[in-house]
Amino acid sequence: MKIKRILIANRGEIAVRIMKTARKMNIETVAIKTSVEPSAMYLSYADVIYDNTEDESEIPVFLDIDKLIGIALKTGADAVHPGYGFLAENAYFADKCLDNNIEFIGPSPDAIYKMGNKTIARKIALSSNIPMAMGSQGNISNEEEAVKIAAKIGYPIIIKAASGGGGRGMRIVRKPEDMEKMFIIASKEAEKAFNDPSVFIEKYIENPKHIEFQILGDKKGNIIHLGERECSIQRKHQKLLEEAPSCALDDRLREEMGSMAVKIARAVGYYSAGTVEFLLDSDKKYYFMEMNTRIQVEHPVTEEITGIDLIEQQIRIANGEELKIKQKDVKIKGWAIECRINAEDVQAGFAPDPGRIEKLSLPDDEYVRVDTGVTSGSAIVSSYDSMIAKLIVRGSDRRDALKKCKLALDKVWIKGVKTTLPFFRMLMRHPKFTSGLFTTSFIEKDLDQYYHNSEYEELLAAWLATKLFIEENLTDDSIKPDFRESREIDPWLLNKRISQF
Amino acid sequence: MGNEKTKIKKLYALSSGNRKYIFSNPLRENIKIGNRKYEVKLKQDDKFGTYILWKNRKYPVEVVRSRQNRYEILFNDISYTFTIETPFGYKRMRVLSRQKGRKEKELVKSPMPGKIVDVLAREGNQVLKGEPVVILEAMKMQNEIQSPVNGTVIKINTKPGVIVNKDDVLVEIKVEA
Repeated sequence: MKIKRILIANRGEIAVRIMKTARKMNIETVAIKTSVEPSAMYLSYADVIYDNTEDESEIPVFLDIDKLIGIALKTGADAVHPGYGFLAENAYFADKCLDNNIEFIGPSPDAIYKMGNKTIARKIALSSNIPMAMGSQGNISNEEEAVKIAAKIGYPIIIKAASGGGGRGMRIVRKPEDMEKMFIIASKEAEKAFNDPSVFIEKYIENPKHIEFQILGDKKGNIIHLGERECSIQRKHQKLLEEAPSCALDDRLREEMGSMAVKIARAVGYYSAGTVEFLLDSDKKYYFMEMNTRIQVEHPVTEEITGIDLIEQQIRIANGEELKIKQKDVKIKGWAIECRINAEDVQAGFAPDPGRIEKLSLPDDEYVRVDTGVTSGSAIVSSYDSMIAKLIVRGSDRRDALKKCKLALDKVWIKGVKTTLPFFRMLMRHPKFTSGLFTTSFIEKDLDQYYHNSEYEELLAAWLATKLFIEENLTDDSIKPDFRESREIDPWLLNKRISQF
Repeated sequence: MGNEKTKIKKLYALSSGNRKYIFSNPLRENIKIGNRKYEVKLKQDDKFGTYILWKNRKYPVEVVRSRQNRYEILFNDISYTFTIETPFGYKRMRVLSRQKGRKEKELVKSPMPGKIVDVLAREGNQVLKGEPVVILEAMKMQNEIQSPVNGTVIKINTKPGVIVNKDDVLVEIKVEA
């Protein structure tokens, strides 16, 4: 192994995840201590901690290319793992690493650039004969052109940002009279979010499933796929629950879509781990959407059903090793489900609920895996994402996995912040979800209530409120329940909650 | 006051969804459902903090806020808000609510620190309860801030690009009569 020490250019659960594998491989790691989270859990997994707490810059260090390169050089790291988010899909960062003789644990800068630009990616997919939704040839320069092309494709259409992601700069248009206005809005939003106003148009696929394929490629040109993940449970393009495999695919379709994913990866000389995203419509027709050139949040479900450690493969590939796993060796076994437990208030439309985790207890059953970067006492800070933990459950088939997931959800105990747990408890009981017939519009269209509360819960809560009232006003003795004293009454949240009754 | 306290025989817990629960004072550690009585206990330990024990299962409980007789309880990760009233208070409340006029103006405040990405409301425009008025970006997410009432926008105190603190007043809305 040439790689001896990896700088983790990330934080939270993914930093922990990467360092666990590095440790298993006897590779040292460097983590960066920031003033925002000086006692974060990920620091305890590192061999070397670089103290960046004096840094008063407005820009987080994980987004500062020059600073990160400087830290790698100072700490003697010979490789950088970017994780996901931050600079994971920044071609310039990957290039800078290589310029400084630091191995970038990810694909080539060229592949990141080509797949990061959605219009270039579309062109590549088109020339590789990958099925795609009908769309504009490239970026659209003005409203008139947009109206013309949309008419040719036929409504509904979707406007997307060329440099986009995460749903920003995206607009669905159903009527010609809205086209001009929406084009301008999308373009402005794209410019604000990505410094690039370019947008393009695609036919909008109604009620699809989101199916993505995990790819692994080495620097010698070997590329395989590790099957699909179904990520249709999403809200505003943010995934909440992922599973692998998908009940929408049979072996024939899996093989066909998998080979398409490999084909597009090959077209950009892809190496490392990557994800090719497709939309699958109700006629089982699939359309290439985009390729993500990083390790993804939901990678554990693939690891659980294939037994392959994706981070290990990324490190080996970056190290120049040939892929030892052949396509025929990839066997899908069982079913895995991941729930993203975020600090969000589902009763207030998933509004972020940052705060301190007062108590945390996680299930340790053999069918459960929890990837987390927090522990009791950790803070979920508003500067970063709201992830608390990923609850990953493995079963022999989907029914078994769902059953175990339901059990595991009741064993997760988090106090101090509101979480997405009640949402998943609802999901496990929802017939459309358990039947597997849901699509990406599930949360928007099929739900009356975002959370599950069992019978008598309100009654028991009322009992507790009454008990507190009696103890505070009518007697003296009491157990004082855990109390969030730091918090003020918040009319906005309260109003949103009340409006949901 | 000692004697007065013992005179109160029952208490009303009124939920934000207008449901009414009646409990006896002193409070019993069991609740009758149908013909059966089930034991309910508030307990506490180091690992779990406070919890309610009900039908052999532990449910996490927290008090999110309490002010006078208003309690927001988090029970199994879901919030419930109650007003606790004595029989006398309950009667008075019902009389008052018949007499009292409604609030005239509602202030839409920022629920957390963040950056305003869009202001959807326009001064003078009508808004409906639940209609988004401002888009706030915080924690890498865009959050719709909705109007809590039906009414007319009378003042907008922010614009896109502005960094706001928690509780900054973003929009003022005149409540529809």
